[in-house]
Amino acid sequence: MALHRLSFRLRQTVTHVRPLHTSGCGQQQQQQQQDAVAVESEPEPFSVFRAQENDPACQSEKHIGQYYTLPSAHLRTLFPHSLPWRYQQQVKTFNEACVMVRQPALEVISYLKKTDYSKPSLRYLFYGLKGSGKTMSLCHTVHFCYTQGWLVLHVPDAHLWVKNCKELLPSSYNTSRFDQPLQATDWLRNFRITNEHFLSKIKTKQRYVWTKREFTEQGSPLGELVDQGISRVKSSSDVVGAVMKELRLQSGQPESDFRLAVAVDGVNALWGRSTIKKEDKSAVDPEELTLVYNLKKLMTNDWTGGAIITTVSQTGSLYTSKSAYLPQELLGERGFDSMDPFIPVSVPNYSEKEFESCYLYFMDRQWLQHPQSRTEEGKKELIFLSNRNPSMLDRICAFL
Amino acid sequence: MASHTSKAFLSLGRINVSGLGLQKSVSRVTYATDLSIRSSNVNKGLPDRGDRGFFRRPRRTAGEPRTEKMPVDQDWTAVYPAATPFRPSSVPLPVRMGYPVKGGVPPEKKGNLELIKIPNFLHLTPAAIKKHCEALKPFCTEWPSALDTDAKCDEHFPIKVGSTDYVSAGLSVRNPSARIVDLKVKLSSLNLDDHARKKMLKLVGERYCKDTDVLTITTDSCPLRQQNHDYAMYLLTVLYHESWKTEAWEADKTVADMEEYSWEDSPSQRNILDMLVRMKVAGDREGEEVREQLLGRKEVQEYKDSVTRLKNEGESESTMLQYKEAVKKVLNL
Repeated sequence: MALHRLSFRLRQTVTHVRPLHTSGCGQQQQQQQQDAVAVESEPEPFSVFRAQENDPACQSEKHIGQYYTLPSAHLRTLFPHSLPWRYQQQVKTFNEACVMVRQPALEVISYLKKTDYSKPSLRYLFYGLKGSGKTMSLCHTVHFCYTQGWLVLHVPDAHLWVKNCKELLPSSYNTSRFDQPLQATDWLRNFRITNEHFLSKIKTKQRYVWTKREFTEQGSPLGELVDQGISRVKSSSDVVGAVMKELRLQSGQPESDFRLAVAVDGVNALWGRSTIKKEDKSAVDPEELTLVYNLKKLMTNDWTGGAIITTVSQTGSLYTSKSAYLPQELLGERGFDSMDPFIPVSVPNYSEKEFESCYLYFMDRQWLQHPQSRTEEGKKELIFLSNRNPSMLDRICAFL
Repeated sequence: MASHTSKAFLSLGRINVSGLGLQKSVSRVTYATDLSIRSSNVNKGLPDRGDRGFFRRPRRTAGEPRTEKMPVDQDWTAVYPAATPFRPSSVPLPVRMGYPVKGGVPPEKKGNLELIKIPNFLHLTPAAIKKHCEALKPFCTEWPSALDTDAKCDEHFPIKVGSTDYVSAGLSVRNPSARIVDLKVKLSSLNLDDHARKKMLKLVGERYCKDTDVLTITTDSCPLRQQNHDYAMYLLTVLYHESWKTEAWEADKTVADMEEYSWEDSPSQRNILDMLVRMKVAGDREGEEVREQLLGRKEVQEYKDSVTRLKNEGESESTMLQYKEAVKKVLNL
């Protein structure tokens, strides 16, 4: 590893690392690590399970199994509500956000580095057993896109849009569809937090009329559109649709200088069934929801200049069997035909090395308090009980 | 009343015997085998032991059981020539049957009603079967020497008809289950083209086994076996001829009715061609011949194979990997 600074002092407390990226690393397109390294403002403790690279663009196979730290500034802007719940708790407990570098995420990042962005956008799909790390891989990839300066359109869980809807309004734009104002405003707020700096740069190409007296002129910044949606809750779903349409049309155009990353977790919700009921107790097809309809338009590959990264998940999905984890089972016929051709990336359980790394990390954070967990026997027990499944391991270690 | 009480005792199987007129000591849990006749059966007129009742011929003591005298190489077919209930003194096996006493073992065979209740096949030992075969041989004809392998039998006699005969001793020798006839035939021996085969499979539904390629028609709707046999043959004929015919409404067959996935004209083909055209892989041209040319490419063929395999064979890690490799090649990653 080409490192400029190595601190051999083992420290018990971890300081927040705010790496300032050098420009060379950000624009690197090759996979090999060159001499550009994130300049650290404070020295990091050296441990065998920590990667010294905190920039996803500079991570390679050598770092597989090692943890890198997400800077807290990025954490607040990029992932306001997108990380798995248990991981958020862990971040709060440990006071740092450490993500393990794993093969599936590295693979997708390498494809992202290699693609030609004048071609239609490619779709990547993470799939795997429950708790194997699909959402975390997605977040890792999204972090990479963010550090590269892309515009990130992140839907933390598409399943939330097709169930437990407290307010369902008939859509003002198209009477056969339904609006979900609460979910839409929530999403717009998170979108605004994540993409602050883009909101003033991108201009709308079309005039939008919301009510008789409210309209958004052509050429106004995207921020205005988003604010309109957040303040006027009734039209928020249509605002979401408008934002998606604008971004889709503008990305890849020669005059726009941003790249669009669409990240959807639980994309199988878009083609599944929903538990929302209309007033006459008949079920609502996801097609009839404005949010889902607009998101589906984004999932097609008729726009250029970006990438679509998704996961399929069974947790939270409706009317699917618990043992289903392969893409075609969860997406269904329609979903597969819509997503086809996509690149499926399998996310397996931890390998030996990754398990070791996770174990050492928990030990380092003093998370494993039980004396027997420090022994070889204890480690074998952990392997047996969790089968090296990341979430199982996390749950078991929570009690120790 | 006496018989009723004795039946009641036997069905309980486990009784506390009161010491009414019994000399020997009893355990708390005993079996009917240990019970001697209750003295409350007044109607039967049996006396208590040692009372003033009328004289009854003393019971003869039982002799040595036959099992003691049996040589090892005896002819067993002589001991059990026909189906008879279990006789503990004739069967030289230390058999135990029944629910074990607490802390003990199942009761022995002597006087064991459980062994008598169940059917036994002691009259059908291999030696007995051999004797039966020898006895039947004069009535049989020779097996044709030309049909010495199973394959030859299938080739010359593809239709196999089976039925069961039932023999029992009772009020009537007839058994209604004897009318059931099942007809087995391999579809590969029938002359069916592609459409006929698919139609036949749809018509028969559950009666076809994919692993062995055998169609089984079971008939039991007629009262006589011969009628059922004729009906089964009739069904086979009708199925064969109907599957060769093509009706007008068969043109309405939708994609959902198809038995297997065909890639031509599927959304998958359209998607990949659109994508390749948009990616301008073949240059800036549009139109039919571009699509034809794209279809002819090796990567697209591989992609087609992987999607067909995925849909027909179902999903698994290997099919997914194959699909992934094919997509990567097509998209030049």
